[in-house]
Amino acid sequence: MGKDFEGALEGLESGPAPSDAGAEATRGAEADPSSHPSVAALREVFGGAILHHEVQAGDEHVVFVAPDRCKEILRWLRDAPDHRYDLLLDVTAVDFGGGRPLQLVYQLRSIPHKRNLRVKVELPLDALEADSVVDVWPAANWLERETYDMFGIRFRGHPDLRRILMPENYAEGYPLRKDFPLRGRFSRAEQTRRALMLDMESDYAPHELAVAKRVAEREAAASNTQAGGA
Amino acid sequence: MGVEARRELPVLGHEKDGSPGFLLGKLDELVNWARYGSLWPLPFGTACCAIEFMALASSDRDLARFGMERQAWSPRQADVLICAGRVTYKMAPVLRRVWDQMPQPKWAISMGACASSGGVFDVYSMVQGIDTIIPVDVYVPGCPPRPEGLMYAILMLQEKIKGESLRNKALRHEDPAKVGRPNLPAEVIDEIAQPFGNSTAQNRVSGLVSTKALARPQDRIS
Repeated sequence: MGKDFEGALEGLESGPAPSDAGAEATRGAEADPSSHPSVAALREVFGGAILHHEVQAGDEHVVFVAPDRCKEILRWLRDAPDHRYDLLLDVTAVDFGGGRPLQLVYQLRSIPHKRNLRVKVELPLDALEADSVVDVWPAANWLERETYDMFGIRFRGHPDLRRILMPENYAEGYPLRKDFPLRGRFSRAEQTRRALMLDMESDYAPHELAVAKRVAEREAAASNTQAGGA
Repeated sequence: MGVEARRELPVLGHEKDGSPGFLLGKLDELVNWARYGSLWPLPFGTACCAIEFMALASSDRDLARFGMERQAWSPRQADVLICAGRVTYKMAPVLRRVWDQMPQPKWAISMGACASSGGVFDVYSMVQGIDTIIPVDVYVPGCPPRPEGLMYAILMLQEKIKGESLRNKALRHEDPAKVGRPNLPAEVIDEIAQPFGNSTAQNRVSGLVSTKALARPQDRIS
C-alpha cells in the first residue's frame, strides 16, 4: 500500500467532517458593478434591494437581492427591453449547513442579449418562503415544486405546490437539507411499507385525474350506444 | 406377473416413497419442458442494466434461442419478470403491482447489484434489494452484468423450472392478502438493509438523528 493511499484512509473511521466544520462565508468579494450591464442597471433601478454582487468562476455574475422584492426584480429583468431575460434555466437552492440561511437560486439567460445572470435570495431557516414566479416564467412550475420537495421552501402563489420527486406520502422531511440523514429518518422496513402504501393516483394533479375521468365516461357512453345498437 | 402384482405398480399416482409415478413424473417433465422452453420475459428496465438486457435480446446474443422470442410488454402475458436496474421507493408500488398482475406460473430475475441489494445507492430513496418487494428466483451479480451473465441466469432459471413438480402446491401458491404488501417481514428487511462496508462510515454524520421508525411514532400510518 502506497504512502499516499495510507494517508487517504485516515479519518475513514470518523466519517466525513460535519458540513459546518469551518463556517466560511457563503459570499465572495463584492465585484465591480460595471462589469455586467444588467447589474449596473439593477443598482440604478432598485438601489438598496440589490444586496451584493460577486463574480464566480471567472464570468458568472451572481446578484443577491432582498427576499421581499425578489419577484419584482425578476419580472423587471424579464421585461426591461435592454435586458430581457426571457429564459429561466433553473430554480434551485443551496444549503450550506451550520444554521446558515438557505440560498434560493434563479439562473437566468437572455437570449436576445446573449447574457447570463444568477439571482440569489437568502432565506433564514425559520422563514423558508418565497413568491412563486410561475406567472413570470411558466417554466418555474416544476422547478419550484422540485425546490419545495428537496428543500422545503414554500412558494406563495404556486398553482400546484406538491412534491414532484419524492412520493406524495413521504413524511421524512426534505432530503437535500444538510441536516437530513443520508438513509432517511425511518427504518428500511418502515420506508418499504410506506412506499407500498402509496396511492399511485396521488402522482397526478387533480386536473389530470379529471381528464382521465372524462375519457372513461366518454368510453363508457360509447360502449353503451354500441351495445344498444347491436 | 400376477394381477395383484400389477396393481402394485405405480402408474398414475405416486410411489410409496412419495416420488411421482411414471405418468405424473412424465407429465411434470412435459409441463416443465413447455414452461422453460417458452419463457416470456417482462423487461422491467429502469437503468443501465436494461441496456445490457437489450444487448442480450438483440441479434448478437439472441435471447430468442432460449424460447424468449416474444418479450411480454404486458404483465398479463408474462412468465418471468426481469428487473434490470435500480428501483426507487417511488417505483416500488409499481413493481409490486406489475408482479401482482402477472398470472401464475411466474418467476423473477433480479438483474444487477442495484436490483439485488441497492448497490452503491444506500440512500433514502432506494429500495435495498427488490426481494423486499417481490420474491426473486435468480440474482445476477454485476454492475451492470454482461449480457452473458443474464443469459446464464436465464439458463439457471430454466434448470430451476426443470426441478419443479405440479404436486408441490406451495410452489405456485399466492396469498391474496399479500397483494401490494412487502415480500419480507419488517425485521428481515431491516436486517438485510443494514449498512455495510464503506457505507457504515457515511452514517456517522447522520447518525445523530435516529433512523428508527419508533422514534417518530406520529409519522406512522397504521
